[in-house]
Amino acid sequence: MRSGTRRHPGGGRPLALGLTGLALAILSLPQVASAVAAGLGETPRRALDLPRLAALAGQHGFLAGIGFGLVALIGLAGGILATRAFAAPLRGAIDGLAAGAQAVPPVVIVALALPVLGFGFPPTLLAMVAYGIMPVLRGTVGGLGGVSRDASDAARAMGMNPVQILLRVELPLAAPVIVDSLRTALVLAVATAALGALAGASTLGTPIVAGLQNQNTVPMLQGAAATASLAFLGDAALLVLAGRLRRSSVCP
Amino acid sequence: MTARWHRPLSLVAALGWVCALAACLAAWPISWPMSWPAPCPVLRLAANRLVVGAAIAGPEGLGDWLGAILGTGALGAGLLAVKDGRPAALIGLLLLSSAAFLLALGLGAGAARAMAGQPPAARVGLGAGSWGAVALLAGAIGLAVQRSRVPGLGILVPILLVGGLGVAGHRGAFDALSLAVEYAARRSDVNAALLQHLVLAAGALLLAGLVTLLLSLWRRGQGLVEALMAGIQVVPAVALLGALVALVSGLLRAVPALRDLGLSALGAGPALIGIAAYLLLPLWRGLATALRAPDPAVIDAATGLGLTARQILLRLRLPLGAPILIGALRVAAVQSLGLATLGALIGAGGLGRIVFDGMAQFAPDLILLGALPIVALSLATERALGLAEDAARRRWRP
Repeated sequence: MRSGTRRHPGGGRPLALGLTGLALAILSLPQVASAVAAGLGETPRRALDLPRLAALAGQHGFLAGIGFGLVALIGLAGGILATRAFAAPLRGAIDGLAAGAQAVPPVVIVALALPVLGFGFPPTLLAMVAYGIMPVLRGTVGGLGGVSRDASDAARAMGMNPVQILLRVELPLAAPVIVDSLRTALVLAVATAALGALAGASTLGTPIVAGLQNQNTVPMLQGAAATASLAFLGDAALLVLAGRLRRSSVCP
Repeated sequence: MTARWHRPLSLVAALGWVCALAACLAAWPISWPMSWPAPCPVLRLAANRLVVGAAIAGPEGLGDWLGAILGTGALGAGLLAVKDGRPAALIGLLLLSSAAFLLALGLGAGAARAMAGQPPAARVGLGAGSWGAVALLAGAIGLAVQRSRVPGLGILVPILLVGGLGVAGHRGAFDALSLAVEYAARRSDVNAALLQHLVLAAGALLLAGLVTLLLSLWRRGQGLVEALMAGIQVVPAVALLGALVALVSGLLRAVPALRDLGLSALGAGPALIGIAAYLLLPLWRGLATALRAPDPAVIDAATGLGLTARQILLRLRLPLGAPILIGALRVAAVQSLGLATLGALIGAGGLGRIVFDGMAQFAPDLILLGALPIVALSLATERALGLAEDAARRRWRP
């Protein structure tokens, strides 16, 4: 089940992830990035100033946040529906679809959507959703499918209705697998938002792409460090949130 | 119990499918106000390769072919809906494949008709209706293949279809379609990019495999290695490639001798490293899981029988872990093909360059020319290694 998902974020170490994110954020600051570039022997050129960097990071986070929200909503809802008894014949089709969707890389989706949806956010958002839903759907289906029959039977015997069984038994038991798939989706959303720069969305990918084109290392380094920082910080935040949720659901 | 509602459900699904196909191809309902553009044009006639063309609806674009396509398609879908079993699935598969083939030929012929009398710069491209019909037919063909339960058919049918289309294309059936015109204009470019893409993806896979093997020998560092590999997965690929270019150019400045070895800041070198970095974790986890695949009791028994560690590895761990290893290879290979697209950002070439050129020129056909082979390669790799995985699994099941 795990081997099917595209990325495998590491074990639960929110502190390490958060610290890495902070270090990368510091690296993306204009003075620090310039100093590092000078250390690499680069002739100093104009760095991205702080307000511009912050604006790009804000747009990046906004775009990735919307994409992640959509992916989580659709993926979770779809996964819950697909594991209900009436949808049993659909499960094979979901696996096939998942394999098919993973074969179209996000950058190709952005490119293909460009003539239809135009420049900027829409093709990027489409790529996020098209590529991100399947890991979440698969994780949710796998997690809920892995809940032992005995647990839900016991809950039914205690007089719980299907909704209570889902919310109090199945979802909490499936949570680790689902959270893993959500982390994958979040990292993918941050990465795809960077790719959106290719379609003209102004995100942290913009200085990377521009820097690669005109050989300007400092903004490139800043964009790369800031994008990676967002991914690490988001991943850490999701882990902390999941930990909170688990603790509060275990002892209400 | 399922059979009672299963039959009407599949009938409704088949009916919906046929209606959707008709809507895609015939721009149905036809009684829409004439001033409206056709909702689903099958073809578009444009003055040149950059503008969006005027819509050509199904009846006009496909002409006499339309009835044959819809008829065979509906017959195939209907057969799949009313009858189970292998013979019905195979006949349905044949009908649906014929419908797909007829659609391709009809579109080629329609494009030739639309191009007649037009200036050479004019292009006839595929419209949304054609893509919708292709998706519907592909889905139905996939279902028929699944129903037939013939192993290997999932790879044979695409090969036959693509081969048939290739032969038809070679004889000029699609010469008027803009995609073919674009390809004819850039044949050597696209072919070279395809080769670069394959070399880049395979090279990265090989590099990652070697590094994984070497690292797996370092027993004491397992935890650290895994944490690092997992950390790399969090870094967006564009960011990693950008950072690698900066690092390599700094390295080259510090040690200029490396330049003589053929390393450069932009190009295949950093792209290979960047792509390979993402393949490490799936391969590493696959290898670790595969080596642990045999039951410890089996290993004990083998040791008791006097097998050496080497024999246990070759005769037990590797054969029993083979499906897991092939599975990891499949995930990594598909990722490698996708990531190789980004290699074009740092001058490594490949099909990504065609895609990015198309984006820069806003030329949809050029984007498709780069994107279609990427998708086809990924799907083919996924399928082929998936079949190998299943075969390895079947072989060791008692």
